[in-house]
Order: sequence, then structure tokens, then C-alpha cells
Amino acid sequence: MTDALTAAGLHTFYGKSHILHGVSLNVAEGMITTLLGRNGAGKTTTLRSLVGLTPAREGRIVTFGQDTTRWPPFRIAALGVGYVPEGRRIFPNLTVEENLKVPNGRAGDWSIERIYALFPRLAERKSNRGRQLSGGEQEMLAIARALLLNPRLLILDEPSQGLAPRVVQEVFAIVARMRAEGISVLLVEQNVRQSLAVADHAFVLDDGMVVWSGPAVELAADETRVRTLTGATAEDWEGAAPRVLPAG
Amino acid sequence: MTQLLLFNVTNGLIIGAFYVLMALGLSLIINLSGVINFAHGGFLVIGGYLAYALTPALGFWGALLVAPLLTAVIGLVVERLLIRRLYGRDPLYSLLLTFGLAFMIEDGTRFIWGAQGLPVTVPDFLNQPLSASLFFITGYRLFMVAVVAVAVAALFLLLRYTRVGIRIRAGTLDLETVSTLGVNVGRLRSLNFAAGIFLAGLSGVLAGGQLGLDPTMGAGLLMPSFIAIIVGGVGSLPGTLVGGLLIGVAAGVTAVFFPSASDAVMYVLMAVVLLLRPRGLMGEEGLMT
Repeated sequence: MTDALTAAGLHTFYGKSHILHGVSLNVAEGMITTLLGRNGAGKTTTLRSLVGLTPAREGRIVTFGQDTTRWPPFRIAALGVGYVPEGRRIFPNLTVEENLKVPNGRAGDWSIERIYALFPRLAERKSNRGRQLSGGEQEMLAIARALLLNPRLLILDEPSQGLAPRVVQEVFAIVARMRAEGISVLLVEQNVRQSLAVADHAFVLDDGMVVWSGPAVELAADETRVRTLTGATAEDWEGAAPRVLPAG
Repeated sequence: MTQLLLFNVTNGLIIGAFYVLMALGLSLIINLSGVINFAHGGFLVIGGYLAYALTPALGFWGALLVAPLLTAVIGLVVERLLIRRLYGRDPLYSLLLTFGLAFMIEDGTRFIWGAQGLPVTVPDFLNQPLSASLFFITGYRLFMVAVVAVAVAALFLLLRYTRVGIRIRAGTLDLETVSTLGVNVGRLRSLNFAAGIFLAGLSGVLAGGQLGLDPTMGAGLLMPSFIAIIVGGVGSLPGTLVGGLLIGVAAGVTAVFFPSASDAVMYVLMAVVLLLRPRGLMGEEGLMT
């Protein structure tokens, strides 16, 4: 099995503060990998290093066989890496349709028509501005925007944050569907229970280091360990949502 | 009296059209790159003098198109060599750099073409007044307003309907996210800078045909252009359009009743707008905080 992405020994700084202390992880091709950890563990910083927004000062990132450690974000995106940032970051001043015209991706199957077929709600709201959308619609738009890059790897930072439970279900269903499309996924989530349910592999970060890695089912089976490692509250863990079975 | 008022309102609109052209270019650059381009007036001067140099070879019509294009190319070189090093730094750096650049352009022009004024020769038929009673409305003045209108319309259409335009508008609020969507933001900024400088060059050619050329002519148009941006609201190009016309007309009308205050009135207008609506007439709330 090959890796879509391999990161080894990443050290990343914001100015003088040392955030990542040698993070190593890999995303297996065609699989869903989840990255968990308490607030401030370095999850978002890890993703920002992988997509080129906050380049790692030390370490090496190999994406689809290329050393992308120092590449600018647009070149990494052109390799087929779609990024759905924390807080969605849709363009509030642009309409839905205009938001979908910003991506400049590789050639592939994803077109605006296909996006509208997958997310009918976006088609209905295509002339509305980004700022007029609900949180769930914004999340769909952020995912749709990344899909228009025709990604081979999709990186999502807390896609379920602040969404109603029903919409959270939808988001996880889309993530599972992406794997069925053959897209590798790296998922950062606060919703520990659901991400472990959908993921194949898991990494747990704490204080800028990987403190646990292994099959998602193994971690999911050990409730005490999940609580100590990820700081998941009882509420995160015992949420009422039904389990989403990983495909394959 | 009516005719005097009409005369000055027309004058104001024409001056306002210049402010609009200048201010739109400045706005484009501020919005996407956060650079306050004090050398913008210098690029206007370059456009005007290039038109003067090109007219014998290309005629007025050729110069009208080629001079702004060449100015944009010079702008592109300046952006690549100097301006781009300052992106993401304290705005003070770009302010200092472009301020120095403005002096260099002014003195460079003086060195090459001399300090005395030079004319841009306009086709004769454009210089005829339209009628005896409306002697102040010459064909050239109408022509200037038409060119400005076409340029502004073209700019707005490009920003609205082309992918590059959509990316520029997206980048105005969140350039980082634009870059993660596969867009080369360095190139986007260069292109956007060149577009802004093209508008400055075009104003230079038009102004040269009306007022003649002089190495310091850019400086006089720069400050009102900043005021137009502030009155209209930073971040809003339609606001800049309204702001430019508004201060032009305000200055024109004031010239009828209280000529010595016609320059001061735009500052008063700015103060009033800022007091009543700090983000400007059409500005986004909290954009520049």
C-alpha cells in the first residue's frame, strides 16, 4: 500500500513559538486517516504545514511522490490536494457560483454541474452571497470548492464544527463517499467518536507530538485511552449520533 | 448664473472622472496587496509623457492605447523588482518605497523631457466646442468622459465575470484561502498591480491632452484620489467611483460661490463622511481594522 502523503519529523514555528516538535504521520492512499488531539495540540498547524501555508522549518513532506516541504500552497493544490480550512473560510462577498469559480485545479471529473448534482442546496442558492449561507451550507460550499481542484487527497479541518447534528451526519457521509470515489482523506475533528467510526487509521497529537497511532477501530475500542489522549469530554464521546460504518 | 453653475459642474465631473480613474487603480492595489502606492501619480506622468513621445509615430489614437500599456509594463517590472518584496510587511515600508519612487519618477521625467510643459496633440475635430452657448463642452472633454466610462465599465465587467476578476475579489478578503485553491497569488498580484497602473497611464494620456504635460502633474491628482477612496469606503470599488465623482462635483460647485475654498471642500467632505459614517459611503464594516 502506498502513501498519498508522508510527513517525517516536522518542526513548525509561529514566529518564535515552537508548535510542532517532530510530527510524523502518513495518509495511506484511498483511506481515511483522522488526526485527533486536544485543543492546542497542533492539529491545525500540522495541516497548515502540509498544505504549505505555514511551512515546516525542519522535516520532510512527500506528497504523491514529490518533496513538497517548501512548496507554495498553489503548487501543492495543483498536485491534487484539496484543503477545507477550519471555519470554512468561504468568500463572504462572492456568490456561491463565484466561490466555485475561484479554484484553479487539475483537469478531472469534477465540474460545477457535478457539484450542483451532489449538493442540490448549493444549486438553489447559487446567486446568494457566501455571507448569507447557513453554517451547513457554508461547509458544503467549502468542501465543494476543494473538490473542484479534482483532488486525490482531501484535507479537512474540523468540518463538523458548529453544525447541527443532522448536518454533521451529512458531512461525515460526504467524507465516507469521498473514500468511495478513491480520494484519500486526512480528517481533523473534535467529534472523536464519529471520526473514529468513519476512519481507517488514527493519529493522536499532544503538545506538538504524535502520542498514539494505529488502526481507528483499536482506538475506538478503548474508551479510557481515547479520553486521556484526546481530552474528549463525555459529551463528545456519547453523542446521540449513530455509528457510520467505514466502507470496505 | 445657470451657465456658470453648469460650467463648473461639468468641470467638476471631468476632474472627478480623473480622480475616479486614478482612485480605482489605487484601490485595486490597496485591496489585494495592502500597498498604498504613493508613486501612482508618477505612473500617470509616465503615461502622459510616453503618449507625447509616441504620438509622432503612432498618432493620438495609437498613443492612447500603447502608452497606458507600456506604463503597465513598467509597473509590472517595478512590482517584480521592488514592490513584491514588501508584501505582508508593515505598510510603512511600501509607503516609504513608493514615496521615494514618486520623487525618482518626477525627477527622471524632468531629466529626460525637461521641466517646461509639453502638449499632447489631440486630433483637431475633438477640440471644437459643441455649440457657442455651451462653449466649455468641447468634443475632447466629452471624449475624455466617454473613455473613462468605458474603462470603468470594462474594469467592473472583468472583475465581475472573468475568473481572474473573481479571484481578485476573493483575494481582497482572503488571499491565503485563494492560494490553497491552486491560484498563484504572486502572479495574481502582479496582474492586478499592472491593471491599476494601466489606469494611471490612461489618466496621464487623457490629462495630457487637456491640460498639457508637466513632471509634477501627478502629485496634484494623487491626494484627491486618496480622498475619493476614503469618502467612497476602502475596499469598495463602486464606492471609489461615487467618491471620485462626488468630490469632483463638490469642488466644481464650490468654485462658483467660494472659489478659494474649492480645494478645501473635499477635505471638509471627507471629514463629514468620516464623522457620520466612519467606514465611508459604501465601505465594508471592519474591513480595515
